[in-house]
Amino acid sequence: MDYSRPELADRLGAEYVAGTLRGPARRRFEALLGGHPALRAAVRAWQDRLMPLSASLAPVAPPARVWQRIEARLGLRPAVAAAPRWWARLAVWRGLTGAATAMALALTLIVASPPPAQAPIVVVLSATAPAGQPGAIAPASFVASISADGRAMVTRPLTQVSVQPDRALELWALPPSGAPRSLGLISSSGATVVRKGKVLQDTAAFAVSLEPPGGSPTGLPTGPVLYVGKLSS
Amino acid sequence: MATTPNDWSERSKELSELLARSGLGDRQAFARLYERSSAHLFAVVLRINRDRAQAEDVLQEVYVNVWRAAQTFDAAQSQPLTWLTSIARNRAIDSLRRKQTEPQTQPALLLNDDEDKDVYDDLPDDAPTPLEMLSRASDARALSHCMDALSAPQRQSVALAFYDGLSHAEVAEQMRQPLGTVKSWVRRALQSLKACLDGAVLRDARGA
Repeated sequence: MDYSRPELADRLGAEYVAGTLRGPARRRFEALLGGHPALRAAVRAWQDRLMPLSASLAPVAPPARVWQRIEARLGLRPAVAAAPRWWARLAVWRGLTGAATAMALALTLIVASPPPAQAPIVVVLSATAPAGQPGAIAPASFVASISADGRAMVTRPLTQVSVQPDRALELWALPPSGAPRSLGLISSSGATVVRKGKVLQDTAAFAVSLEPPGGSPTGLPTGPVLYVGKLSS
Repeated sequence: MATTPNDWSERSKELSELLARSGLGDRQAFARLYERSSAHLFAVVLRINRDRAQAEDVLQEVYVNVWRAAQTFDAAQSQPLTWLTSIARNRAIDSLRRKQTEPQTQPALLLNDDEDKDVYDDLPDDAPTPLEMLSRASDARALSHCMDALSAPQRQSVALAFYDGLSHAEVAEQMRQPLGTVKSWVRRALQSLKACLDGAVLRDARGA
């Protein structure tokens, strides 16, 4: 069957979203979705049309155990649901690490003066989405090298990255918790030099998201996150 | 309070931000997302799969899915509440295994010849019927207008399929109508809804 035929895509999409497409036919349809943009578009259009119907359902609060199980499944919290112990708190670790670094630096200064130049930190950002996602980007990676003092950062695509002309790539610094900080737009084809002050400070990872041209209008990522790389400490 | 379709896009703005941050691994944002959306999604799931224990399992699966897929959510392409509700509906429908959990719908009554009279009209039941739900949902201008354009059996067949997650065969059984008749009701109802809603969007676009 030719699933790009608009009437067929529309009819199947409608039945899928309304819920009347069932059993093996439903599973077959879901398997086809990945390879057929016309089917995906039809499904999206029908979801936009019909989902607001569910707004009239009176909300039913689920019991607390559901959230506890979700947290446990995803490892979002240690199995014992208690306030984090003092040693588990990142700030303390950061403090200790800072103190250790300061001590090491002091030692270095005492032992060998002048201190050796510190090597840049390299972070590899890997693609998060599998091939064939609607983002229209081939899975690829970025490499970011950051000067040890965190004042300068250079990003470079490792492989060919194609971005639709009406989309831009935006780089984010992710703190261990809280909102990401924008580090600006980066090039999909060549090196980009990022100078945003201390990019390493309070940063656990870097991410690249797909945004409208000119970057996210909200100051937070609005598009899908395409690449993520953790800062190993 | 149930959300009206008018609130749909309003709530979506907030959820959009929470979803984007969840996609970046922000646990607090994800917890807040759950707080703000789980009662709606649980209602959606519970309506389709009436077995509470199973519905809880489904809801858990839904949010595990949401956490893992949050980074593929594209705010430019879809509204978050639509995206979330679709995931919940799909999971709930998948959880229906025929013998295990038949949706406990109200006993079928013969369809009245009178188009304006619904088979649910005579039922003394406090729980809102799918049709009441439809009329509540149709508070929004366009939707209300488009729902009114459907014939009573068309409206009812869509409501049973959409809210209760009934298959064509189950809708047919419920309405005591031949399968072929019900299939064509649903198909025509969806076609008219599409034509009507898309027309409303076009009119809005021209009017703006």
